[in-house]
Amino acid sequence: MSWSINTACKTLSTRGIPVAAFLCSAMLGIAQDAPLRLPSHAFAGQPVSIATSGSGSATFYLSGPSSSMKRDIQLGQNIDITAKDVQSAGRYVAIICSGECSSAGFFVAPAEPASLAFLVHPSRAPVGLNDVISGVAFPFDQFHNLVLTPTMIQFQLAAKGTTPNSRAVETHSGVAWFRTNSGKSAGPLQITVSLSDVNARRVVQQVASDPCNLRIKGQRTVKGIQVETEPVRDCSGNPVPDGTIVTFTAKNGDDVSFVDAPVKQDVARATLLAKGAVVVSAASGVATGNELRIGGKE
Amino acid sequence: MISCQRNIRYQSRIGGSAILVLLLVSSLSAADNSPQVSLDVSKASPRSVEPLTQRSIVRDYRFAWANLDSALQSNSAGPLNGLFAGTAHDWLKDAVTNQQRSGLTSRYLNQRHKVDAVFYAPAGDVIELHDTAEYDFEIQDGNKTIHQEHTTAHYVVLMTPAADRWVIRQLQAVPEF
Repeated sequence: MSWSINTACKTLSTRGIPVAAFLCSAMLGIAQDAPLRLPSHAFAGQPVSIATSGSGSATFYLSGPSSSMKRDIQLGQNIDITAKDVQSAGRYVAIICSGECSSAGFFVAPAEPASLAFLVHPSRAPVGLNDVISGVAFPFDQFHNLVLTPTMIQFQLAAKGTTPNSRAVETHSGVAWFRTNSGKSAGPLQITVSLSDVNARRVVQQVASDPCNLRIKGQRTVKGIQVETEPVRDCSGNPVPDGTIVTFTAKNGDDVSFVDAPVKQDVARATLLAKGAVVVSAASGVATGNELRIGGKE
Repeated sequence: MISCQRNIRYQSRIGGSAILVLLLVSSLSAADNSPQVSLDVSKASPRSVEPLTQRSIVRDYRFAWANLDSALQSNSAGPLNGLFAGTAHDWLKDAVTNQQRSGLTSRYLNQRHKVDAVFYAPAGDVIELHDTAEYDFEIQDGNKTIHQEHTTAHYVVLMTPAADRWVIRQLQAVPEF
């Protein structure tokens, strides 16, 4: 795509006569072509040759997304733009000034995909949750231009002990994405995105979900009532991580006392100082455990 | 004496009004020159754009374009800091450096941006916008205007959230969407 503009009408527009300037531009656009012939297709990182017509010396300018150049040229000769000067995809304006200025524009398209920007969330996900893991991939060429042509991208999800799950997604407007449930078992989930020989890998740590079915046992000792849980696991049987808090509650009539204890090596332990006959229970997250009745003894 | 005081009061009122009018005119003129941005989030998926996010994006996108114009007009990379990051920042910084080297400046005047959010990541960490921008683009070599056009351009934009703002990471012109 290209366009041409002759700057002879600029004075009109700068003096606030936009309609006259528009008509003037339109007439000049029909009557006189810019002395520039641009390539119909240009790609990032590939040299461009611009043909000029006429004779004599002139000044050539090129303005692009990240480039700007000025050089003396001879009209009638080709202007060679190096690959380095057209690395950024986008819109370029080529201008030739010889007395008056003429300009033409062209677009530079991205090159082939050379890298993938891959965003995966979250880094840790509880097991057994729907649509909790998502990934977004953007293909870029070697010059960091976003590749916008539809491209098939392969996502592969592999967790230990399961068959890798693979899916192909076509990019729309330069983006491909997926969303998936977390697995049933705790452990690393490797997510690989690939496009031809370009690939990127991320790891989501699948962790146990909230505790499920707490079971406690306890006995009175000289120091008080010692209580502990059986190994604390989520509803899929994964041991909950160390540090998960279990709250033990001791009730003796209207007297209620609480002790918070962290899970350590699957088990949470605490000593309650309650006297008399008490009912001990435990809770962690939304899970509650069995009640334990312990008789009074000084 | 009294009439003199009244006169002084009257004059100071007129002076105050004149200053107010001048400030108003100057602020209106500044407002006219600042980019106009409208954002349509109805096509955004898979996540819908929250109203607060929408307001932040409009605010930051408008400031970003004002800063882009300022950087390329003054040939200073300073205005690019803060609202541009990654590739967008590098490209614009290079554009400023190359303009300085060749003695050129450029301007984006009377900007109107009609922006559509086309993709908003499930985790909300990246948004893709399609901007149909209308502006007067001007390139100057010293004091001589060598290019001037009123144009409609299309930009594919990637923005990501930073601590207190949305930053532009990719600003890529395309022939059409």
